[in-house]
Order: sequence, then structure tokens, then C-alpha cells
Amino acid sequence: MASVQDAEVLVGPLGALAPADSEIAGPPGRQALRMFLRNRAAVFGVILFVAVLLMTIFGPMFYDNDASDIVARPVLAPGADGAPPLGTDYLGRDVLAGVISGGRVSLLVAAMAALMVVFIGVTIGATAGYYGGWVDTVLMRFTEFFQVLPALLFAMVIVALFTPSIATISVAIGLVAWPSIARLTRAEFLRLKNLEYVKAARAIGAGDWSIMSRVIFPNALPPLIVSASLLMGAALLFEAGLAFLGLSDPNTLSWGLMIGLNRANFLSAWWSVTFPGLAIFVTVLSFSLIGDGLQDAFNPKLRGR
Amino acid sequence: MTSHLAGVDAVLSVRNLTVTFGSFTAVDSISFDLHPGRTLAVVGESGSGKSVTALSIMRLVELGSRGRITGGEILFRSPDGSVIDLVRTEEEEMRHIRGNQISMIFQEPLTSLNPVYTVGNQVAEAVMLHQGLDADAARKRAVEMFELVRIPNPNERLDQYPHEMSGGMRQRVMIAMALSCDPTVLIADEPTTALDVTIQAQILGLMRDLQDETGASVIMITHDMGVVAEVADEVVVMNRSKVVETGTVYEIFENPAQEYTRSLLAAVPRLGSMSGTAAPARFDLVGVSDDSGSAGQGLS
Repeated sequence: MASVQDAEVLVGPLGALAPADSEIAGPPGRQALRMFLRNRAAVFGVILFVAVLLMTIFGPMFYDNDASDIVARPVLAPGADGAPPLGTDYLGRDVLAGVISGGRVSLLVAAMAALMVVFIGVTIGATAGYYGGWVDTVLMRFTEFFQVLPALLFAMVIVALFTPSIATISVAIGLVAWPSIARLTRAEFLRLKNLEYVKAARAIGAGDWSIMSRVIFPNALPPLIVSASLLMGAALLFEAGLAFLGLSDPNTLSWGLMIGLNRANFLSAWWSVTFPGLAIFVTVLSFSLIGDGLQDAFNPKLRGR
Repeated sequence: MTSHLAGVDAVLSVRNLTVTFGSFTAVDSISFDLHPGRTLAVVGESGSGKSVTALSIMRLVELGSRGRITGGEILFRSPDGSVIDLVRTEEEEMRHIRGNQISMIFQEPLTSLNPVYTVGNQVAEAVMLHQGLDADAARKRAVEMFELVRIPNPNERLDQYPHEMSGGMRQRVMIAMALSCDPTVLIADEPTTALDVTIQAQILGLMRDLQDETGASVIMITHDMGVVAEVADEVVVMNRSKVVETGTVYEIFENPAQEYTRSLLAAVPRLGSMSGTAAPARFDLVGVSDDSGSAGQGLS
């Protein structure tokens, strides 16, 4: 710290540049990480997310009630005599056990859907942006077709056509959510493909695939990482929405399904709906905070907006 | 078709090359020869077609900018002695030629290195691509190349990212990358334009030394007559997509045949040429009017 202040004294008005310069040493990724860690909201988001993750992974080791077992009388409030910590639902099932095991399903679906979205979106967007011309035109019209379909209805149709399961729901969310990532990737590829270093890579004899994957893609990553983390939150909410509407595997409990099943008893047993809802809220909030933090870290110019 | 080069000793011979962008002809039926171990300067003002010529030789002109080579041939004698026409070479084979037999240095050292990789990584990449070396051998080669282009502490410099280097150092890295596979022809597209004057002199000196050491033939694209005088053996003067004059550097400087060449030479200010006048004086633009006769007369 002292050395930084000394530098300021020595260089006078230029002093402000000296510490900034020493901060940008190292690879661009490390610099972004440092910015991210300095953002309190983002770090809070990471803590929330890690807490949720630990709860869903290690929760069952410490809390061995099964979510589908009837453990006590129905509609026992939290804190009531003989009730589990978060009460029981209308069938007498343990709400805490449901939140723990439902989290596994919700997070798994969110992660798989986000992966699916990134895979489809990046493949189509990168191809369209890199090759341009008629390839771009065809792929973008195709993307727009998916973009104008009403997302919830389209996803419901896909889930209803096949057996509702974790896989089909992830695929359904992936199929309705990829256009935004495709457009973002295309825009980045359009911007980057005419830069000097891409031309230079071609001039040393690199082929299309190596230019797309090794030269352009790493430079297009920052906005994609931001979108992907925000997308995880959106996918989680979407899954909850589908499950709430009954379009999920009735044998795999998720947070959305818990809310859907208990919605009729909302007034008499608020805890059976509130705690899974709170779990969704906290998880989506953590994704949002992380996404915003990443956005600021990768793009310092946007800070303060 | 290949008989052209049979009698001549040129490594690269451009014959009636025409390049169009839509309805605009950027390069109009130009011809020149590049002789082994020599430096050919292509001179002209902005928009005269010099960079398009360079990109055409690399067959990079179609990239992103919708340019098309619509006529002529670019004959290249590869190291094994066979002569190929680059205009009609398949992309697959071009990829093998680029960086390996013909390589290129770009104008902007600040933006021609990929910001997410270390500079050593990028030089090694070129070697691994063409010479099939493993990572260790490629790194060793990169250190050699850094030594060749006189980068101090090559082992530490190798692990730096482009933004940690100065413009002059980055241009040295670009030169190292371009020379890493021992190309026969090196195309330098205004390699010193983005650098300040002292670094310019260093880089030009370095390029001349490297040419002596490696025996590569160089095409130097520039608008700077000072650079031409310093490095060139032969000169091609371009104006409005056409070659207006070709000759050795002595012929061009001592006895320019064309009015346009004279006006280009006159555009270089001479020390003392302004004595007695109240500076700053206004210079007339070179070659603006349509009839070449009146171009550049304002300076005389």
C-alpha cells in the first residue's frame, strides 16, 4: 500500500495511472476476477449460491427424512408439537426434506437447460456471424422463427408431447431460450471477425475451425458467461413455472412442483408454499447478483449505470 | 501458364492482377516481379490499392470485405522449385502456404495480437501449425525467434500478454511470428506507420538485418518515401488502382519518369526547404485532380 502512495507522490497528477497500471497486469481473466471479488453484491451472490448448492448436495446426509414419506400429521406449522423444522404439507410430508431434494432437481434442470441453450446458441450464432452471407441470413431467420414462438406454450407442447422428465424439461427450456444467446454470439463474432488479430491468425495459416474456436471464441466469452449465469436463473424460474402448471415428472419433486401441489392450501398452510418459494427466490437472486457482478467485472465501462 | 517464371529468377510474379469490390476496381491489371532476397516497395497514397494487392497475394482479400480477384495471376515459386498460381490455388493449400511460405506483418501491432493469449503462445502456435512441433519444441523455437528479433529477456517476455508490451515490442513479436517458419516471401503492410519515428528506424533496421540473415524476399507496402529510400531495392508506384511506374530505387529517386512519382517525391519535405517562409505553410494534396498532368504541381 505504501508503495502505491509513494508512487502517487512521485508522479503527481499521473499518479492515478500508476496503481491502475499495476492492477491490469496479468491475463484479462485474472483482472476480471479481481474486479469481481471486489464487488460485494457479487460475492454475496456467490455465498448464497454456494449455500444453496451445499444444502442440496450434503443436506440429505444430515437430514434423513425422505421428501415423499409421510412423517407427521398433515398441515403442521413449523414449531408445532412433533412437527419437522419447516412443518408438513397437506399430506403430512416434510417441507424441509422437500426443499432439500427439490433443490437438486431444480438446479439440475437449470444447469442442463443453460448448457443446452449455450450449446445451441453458440453453435448457431458463431456459424452465422463467422460465415455471414446467406448462411447468416438462413440461420438468423431460423432463430427469429424460434424467437417469436410464445415460449411457455412452446415448452408446454414439447413437455406434453414427450413424457415429462428432467431431460425433456431441460430440452424444452433449451429449445425456447437459445435465440437470445445465438444473437449475442453472432453479434460478438461479427464484431471480432474483422479485427486485425483474426486477420493475422489467418495470415499464419489458421483454418476456419481454429479461428472460430481458438481465436474468436475466447474473446467472445465475457458477455456469454454473463448471459449464461443470468440464464440459469431464468431457466430455474421457467422450470418452476412448468412444474407449477403440472408439467413435470410427478415423481421427482422440485421447488416449482411443491408450490404447485400446495397452492390450494396456501392460506391454511403458508409454510408449505413459502419455503420452496423462498428457495427459488434466493437461488435466482444469487444467479442475478453473480451475473451482474460478472458483467461489471468484464465490462468496467458499464459500472455505475 | 508456368512458363512465365521459367526464364526469370523471380520468386513471386504478379501478372495483370485485377481485384474488384462490387463494381469498384481496387486493383487494375497490375504487374510486378519480386526477386529472391530483394525488397520491393509498393508505394502509393491511401486507397491506391497497395494493401489490397498485399491481401490478394495472401488470398485474404475475399475475407469479410467481399473483394474478388477477377483477373490475372500471381505466380509463386515455392522452395521446392515448383511454380504455382496463387489465384487458382485451393483454400486448403493456401492455408499451408500462408505463414509457412508467404507471411505477412500488419500495420497495427497494437491490435494484431490476440489479447487473451501470451505472445509466446501465439508465436508457438504458428510453428506448431506448420512444422508439427510439440509444445516444448515450439516454445524453444519461439525463444529463438524472440532472440532473432532482438527482444531482451526472451524467456520472460514469452509469458507476457500483448497489453504488457510496447508498440515496438509487439511489432517485433509480429515479425517473429511471421518469420518463425522461414518464409520465402514476407509481406509487410505499413509495418512502421503506427510506431513513433525512433522505433520506426529500429524496426526498419531490424527488418533489413533479418532479411540479410534469412534471405527472405520482402514486399514492403508503404506511403512513406523515406521508408522506400531506406529499405527498397525495387519500387512499384501505384496510383488509382494502377501501377504508374516501376524501377529500381535509384531510377525512381534519381530520374522519376512519371509526373505522379515526381509529385510523390516532392511531397517529402526537405530540411531547409522552408527557410525564409513563414511556417507553417500549406501543402497541396497530391494527385487529387483527375488529369495527372496538374497533380502535385502546387509544390514546385
